[in-house]
Amino acid sequence: MPGPEFTSIGKALPRKEDYRLLIGAGRFVDDIEIPGALVATFVRSPHAHARIVSVDVEAARGCPGIVAVVTGRELGEWTTKLRMAPPIEGLRPVEMSTLPTDKVRFQGDPVVCVIATDRYLAEDAAEQVVVEYEPLPAVTDMWQALQAEAPRVDEALSSNLVSHQTFSHGDPAARRREAYKVVEATFSQARQTHLPIETRGCVAVWDPGRQHLTLTIGTQAPHPLRTQLAARLRLTESQVSVVSPDVGGGFGQKIIFYREELTVAALARALGRPVRWREDRMENLIAASHAREDFCRTRAAVTKEGRLLGLELELVEDFGAYCFYPANYLARVVAMILTGPYKVQDYAFDVKVVLSNKCGNGPMRAPMAITSWVIEGTIEAIARTLGLDPAEVRRVNMLRKEELPYTMATGEVLEDITPRETFEAALSAVDYAGFRERQKRARHEARYLGLGICVVVESTTYGSRFYKAAGIPGSGHEAAWVRVEPSGAVNASVGLGPTGQGYETSLSQAVAEGLGVDPKDVRVHLGHTDIAPYGMGSRGARGGTAGGSTLYLAALDARAKMVAIAAHLLEVAESDIELKDGRFSVAGTDRSKSFAEVARTAYLDPLALPQGMSPGLDFSKTYDPPAMTYSNATHVCMVDVATDTGAISIERYVVAEDCGTVLSPVVVEGQQHGAIAMGLSGALFEQVFYDENGQNLSATLADYLVPTAAELPNFEVIAMHTPNGRTPAGVKGMAEGGVMGAIGAVLNAVNDALAPFGVVADRQPLSPQYIRALLRGKVAKEAS
Amino acid sequence: MFERVNVKLNVNGQAHELLVEPRKLLSDALREDCRLTGTHVGCEHGVCGACTVLVDGRPARACLIYAVQMEGHAITTIEAIAAQGRLSALQEALHEEHGLQCGFCTPGIVMTFEAFLRKRPDPSEGEIRQTLSGNLCRCTGYHNIVAAIRKAAARMRGEENHAGA
Repeated sequence: MPGPEFTSIGKALPRKEDYRLLIGAGRFVDDIEIPGALVATFVRSPHAHARIVSVDVEAARGCPGIVAVVTGRELGEWTTKLRMAPPIEGLRPVEMSTLPTDKVRFQGDPVVCVIATDRYLAEDAAEQVVVEYEPLPAVTDMWQALQAEAPRVDEALSSNLVSHQTFSHGDPAARRREAYKVVEATFSQARQTHLPIETRGCVAVWDPGRQHLTLTIGTQAPHPLRTQLAARLRLTESQVSVVSPDVGGGFGQKIIFYREELTVAALARALGRPVRWREDRMENLIAASHAREDFCRTRAAVTKEGRLLGLELELVEDFGAYCFYPANYLARVVAMILTGPYKVQDYAFDVKVVLSNKCGNGPMRAPMAITSWVIEGTIEAIARTLGLDPAEVRRVNMLRKEELPYTMATGEVLEDITPRETFEAALSAVDYAGFRERQKRARHEARYLGLGICVVVESTTYGSRFYKAAGIPGSGHEAAWVRVEPSGAVNASVGLGPTGQGYETSLSQAVAEGLGVDPKDVRVHLGHTDIAPYGMGSRGARGGTAGGSTLYLAALDARAKMVAIAAHLLEVAESDIELKDGRFSVAGTDRSKSFAEVARTAYLDPLALPQGMSPGLDFSKTYDPPAMTYSNATHVCMVDVATDTGAISIERYVVAEDCGTVLSPVVVEGQQHGAIAMGLSGALFEQVFYDENGQNLSATLADYLVPTAAELPNFEVIAMHTPNGRTPAGVKGMAEGGVMGAIGAVLNAVNDALAPFGVVADRQPLSPQYIRALLRGKVAKEAS
Repeated sequence: MFERVNVKLNVNGQAHELLVEPRKLLSDALREDCRLTGTHVGCEHGVCGACTVLVDGRPARACLIYAVQMEGHAITTIEAIAAQGRLSALQEALHEEHGLQCGFCTPGIVMTFEAFLRKRPDPSEGEIRQTLSGNLCRCTGYHNIVAAIRKAAARMRGEENHAGA
């Protein structure tokens, strides 16, 4: 990168966003002053599960500075319910009111909203609200949730099993009977939460004259949010603007439209005054959105050489109390892409999703995070059982270049991926054979080193055809516009919702490439529904593939029209025009027109345009990516486990990643680092703790642990770039695979280190307590 | 509700006269009353470090201090670091090394290390990581922040030419 065919795409340019953020002039929601704005705060349930007997707000209403105190009853009149009922087999329809009126379903469930002139006063008054509850037994564990006599989280359902899907291809049972061995392995991730450093928040302004609502909110998906907001307030989509300014991280937490935000919008309209809300960190930890908490069991039928004959997956996910997404949304992807880089056609899965009395789940950076650990941990289990080298077991099963495109058992098609190439590159970078020698010597000195490999096939960009085939509602297309203004200035927009990735930089490179100008002369405007076209927002790893490709195509249209104008003005054929350094020149002559001259002509001298050409330079484009694009990588993590304390230190971290054409290598490398960090964080530290009564015990940053700079290693990235043959510039998308790879690599590394003790860690986080519990009473086998 | 009191703050060399409740946090006073919104609030319990400012030249969490406690002290916020809009060596290194993504935690990191690098001009990577452990970043994985701080330190020691824009 940059490839010979590109001049702007692939250039390592520093970010356009940085200056304002570095000088403290970023504009996050709370930095935007709205004169006269009131402040909202919420009274939340102290119980995991309880009937609401009565709510007394009188004392609160009498407090200083209080403007309104409202419950779910008033909100039920101002707003509609959220119904989640996509026609998916095995998925039960559910409904959610704006604030609960009958019962609360988790500790932190919002019950009352207090509006005051000032946040301090709002919180004072919130303490005066008296809610009488009748506590109910709580469901706090996924296995308990599945029991027939378990309390029901949602009384409209006949059980807590909110989603159940099965699938089988080939004959996995027959493969088990034929197998040399059937290897079983289990995996579970703790409940986690996204923890953007900027918590959720918004400010709603109702304009009574225009009957128009403006909601300023940090969101990953401005237009889909507008659709929901308008519908739930019974407004038209032309009466609502959603504005997403600088956003302090999202990681999936800022996709969906939450109940608190709807409450704030409804109150701004009802009171006719601006209302703002900023959740505090405790609310963010207990009540924003959680993620993960899943259990997987695999059964692999294998030959003596470790070749996979068949594979079966059983998956259970604890989805929490409310479905802000279809409950199969996350688990389904794990099951669909599980086999990753390996050849196996006899495959079956059984995926159950249950409700519990915990905060609702949502997608968190790599909703399918567990996938690569599950398949790669299964490979490790096969190697352990058969006494083979885990690298060799991978080689036996891994797809070769000549076997692509490869249709997985689930029907997913893998193409333009390079698992073997990244695998060999990463192993040779860490000197795999040399490490094994070093590990052996260290074991003689009772030091336990481990090396973990994780080969990742990352589903990045979901096209409409994937959604349709998976039975998930939604579109995968994206929309963009590019405008060359009369001065030659270039504006562009796309329907993504940035949360810190650096889109203004990377996307300007896609536009510049298409248009043939310098990226510094392109300005990308994002996050405002009145400016950006209706797009699907940022989720998965679609920014580059869906957003970048759409902008690139729109810019190519702009260039074609400008070339046509220049050719007409210069009285030559279009094929004679070269665009270089901001000028349209006639090849082999000194005759040319500047970029600005052509732009000015397009707007201000329409009669000089080729006959029949419409004036202006305004280009809109929509683009639906392939059903799915895949990136791939191999992660290698090397650890030193202190068996006496259970502490894990990461000695080295290497990743060889092939994410196709990259728009900005700067941004991509930042995403690689960030994703690996989030994966390591989950694997080593993060855990939302609920006690048996459903009380959240990890409601501060002293209790919910994420790594600091002192706990994370440096990352060595080997960049590989095999373009995707189906996307306009060969972009594949990336940014979640690092999470998938880091989880598998560090788990496999720790288990490699602990192998002499005959123990296997099969759940996260790998806390010192857990490692010590595994090792207690165990003695290392004599090093051989 | 508490009686509001007059508080005189010296922020970035400028005098501010505030009428605030005694319980008002310095972080809120800076943002709402002094209208300096570069100091971000990430946790309000002293862990994340986003609200770090300098009090008499030393890093402090603005969310753990009341505004009334700050009379007679000199407060420095992120807004004072880029003099006349020109980035400091540290800010510039963060830009060059891609040491920020969403940028929400960045002002706190800049404040921590503007002070640190003056005290420790030649820190080891371990010392940098130990000091940076007081600032949580969820986007970057810290790798590039550490690289930027090392680069800034070298430049401030005059070991590398200031190749700024």
